[in-house]
Amino acid sequence: MARSATSARGGPRERDETDAERGAEPTEGSLGPPALAIEGLTKRFGEGDDAVVAVDDVSLTVERGSVVGLLGPNGAGKTTLIKCALGIVIPDAGSVRVFGNDVRDGRRAAYADVDAMLEGARNDYWRLTVRENLRYFATISGVDPDSVAARHDRLLDRLDLADKADTPVRDLSRGMKQKVSLASVLAGGAELVFLDEPTLGLDVESARTLRAELRRLAAEEGLTIVVSSHDMTTIEAVCDRVVMLSNGRIVADDTVEALLGAAASDAVRVASPDLTPETVERLREAVEVVGVDRDARPPVVTVAAGGDRLYDLTDALRAAGVTVSDIRTVQPDLEEVFLERTGTGLGAAGPGSGGEGS
Amino acid sequence: MSGDASAGPASTAESTADGAPGDATAADAEGASGTPSAVDDEPRPATYYHLARAVLYREFLIFVRYPANAIGGIVVSLFFFAALFLGGQLLAGQALADSIEGIVVGYFLWTLSVGAYSSVSNDIGSEVQWGTLERHITTPFGFAPVALLKGVAKVVRTFLTSAVILAVMLLATGTRLSLAPLTVIVVAGLSIVSVLGLGFAAGGVTVLYKRIGNWLNLLQFGFVALISAPVFDLPWTRVLPLAHGSAMLQRVMVDGVRLWEFPLADLALLVAVAVGYLVGGYLVFQLATGRARRLGVLGDY
Repeated sequence: MARSATSARGGPRERDETDAERGAEPTEGSLGPPALAIEGLTKRFGEGDDAVVAVDDVSLTVERGSVVGLLGPNGAGKTTLIKCALGIVIPDAGSVRVFGNDVRDGRRAAYADVDAMLEGARNDYWRLTVRENLRYFATISGVDPDSVAARHDRLLDRLDLADKADTPVRDLSRGMKQKVSLASVLAGGAELVFLDEPTLGLDVESARTLRAELRRLAAEEGLTIVVSSHDMTTIEAVCDRVVMLSNGRIVADDTVEALLGAAASDAVRVASPDLTPETVERLREAVEVVGVDRDARPPVVTVAAGGDRLYDLTDALRAAGVTVSDIRTVQPDLEEVFLERTGTGLGAAGPGSGGEGS
Repeated sequence: MSGDASAGPASTAESTADGAPGDATAADAEGASGTPSAVDDEPRPATYYHLARAVLYREFLIFVRYPANAIGGIVVSLFFFAALFLGGQLLAGQALADSIEGIVVGYFLWTLSVGAYSSVSNDIGSEVQWGTLERHITTPFGFAPVALLKGVAKVVRTFLTSAVILAVMLLATGTRLSLAPLTVIVVAGLSIVSVLGLGFAAGGVTVLYKRIGNWLNLLQFGFVALISAPVFDLPWTRVLPLAHGSAMLQRVMVDGVRLWEFPLADLALLVAVAVGYLVGGYLVFQLATGRARRLGVLGDY
């Protein structure tokens, strides 16, 4: 059979023994090859002048058990990268290995341990019930559904779908459908899961629940998850590590903390109705004012006030006769980090936006 | 029934070797009632048996849960036949009555062909739309066995609906035909396998060029020409899909010829045409999806 049981996490992974194309055998016992190893991946769509390079020489390694975010605007190459990793799109150059199996050569072995929830796709059969979908897709991904019945129950329980297990998917709300889609992707016990814009189209509450559940699943099931999104809230909430993509290239690749830390500003925002042009001028003499918003109500100044300079700021405010209505440090977010590295925001679409090559 | 699964040698997680039917027998309709504590939570690999069960069971569920589709198809087919029969009586009178048996058999084969063809090509179209096609392509089983099983399921389903149509046609026209089940199923089944191949080819082309898909549905009307192909005057038409099978089915149902009474060459040609078009259609599908993967249009919603 073209599958190794996706057995025992942490135990030695048994690879496909019958696949004639069996390539490099992972080292048993040890950590083995990374969950995902992409090297020099390039994909171009179109010909000649119209050609769009969707993915441009991207190399990326994802270790087992980590949750990695692909962050970038529409058209940055996130979806193409994921589809190349799945073998749904054939790259022009470069290689993709999933748990050491080349996706192009040893597809059957590679597919045993990977699954994906693709953007905008239903991913499952709406006319079947939730549980029927789980059983069907578990089988399709190479697992005897009876052997994972307990796992399916647990999964449905965790995703708050237990009550709806025997309801046809078409009768569920949008947020629930999205969760069923996720469950069907996890049903076969894939250890590497790609989630492309998992919260797209969900209302705030459903998106928040899904994020929380993703975090929990990643921690409890030891999954390796690659989440793509243009929504930094999702990435920040779920991922340990962020890979920022812009125009098909990686512009940043680090932990969320490191990225935010590097961008950490020492700015403080002060709001007060007393911030007239005159008082702002007096402040400028004492501290480094980096921004003024007079249209805000009350007006706001942003001041560089890291470390001891915070005391200078409070002194200057007192001296200028400013009664503070609000004061807070400016928190950097991934959006700012992205802006810093690329000069464009996450909302901005790159070339080739609108789905194609995104 | 699924409870039995764990009653078997559940601990021998890897014992269900390739092809072995395993212990997880029979329909899994009761999977819902799962007894977690009794089931070893050690994933066992699915065999082709499990795959076949899953694919056929899904078709069955959709068939029984949404009977309107099947009934609608039956009603439309019967309506067309009624128009054909009553109109023919007005125009041709006794001449029609003499050839009514041939018309019933031909119409039966046509409904089978249209059912097999459109269910396969439309199914591929729907799966593309739903994003489930990729999941069947990225299966460790490979797409071929899944597609083949789906095809078998469609053919079985089509036989059920066409049998109803045939029964109504026979009753309404008072025609008597030889209905030796084995012979009819084998000859008609092999005849429409070639159409299944055309369905795969059309489905593949639809993956690449979505707009063409609708036009390809018009091919169904071309089946009429194939079914009534003049195989005696133009023997080469026997290698076309349906033509040779249609001629054989006429002899089976009108003249009462049994399967083993046919010359071996006729049977061999029937099998060769079926396999040839099925393999050819599947290759077209493979080429089309391969190109779609290079172009990056597979799973473009």
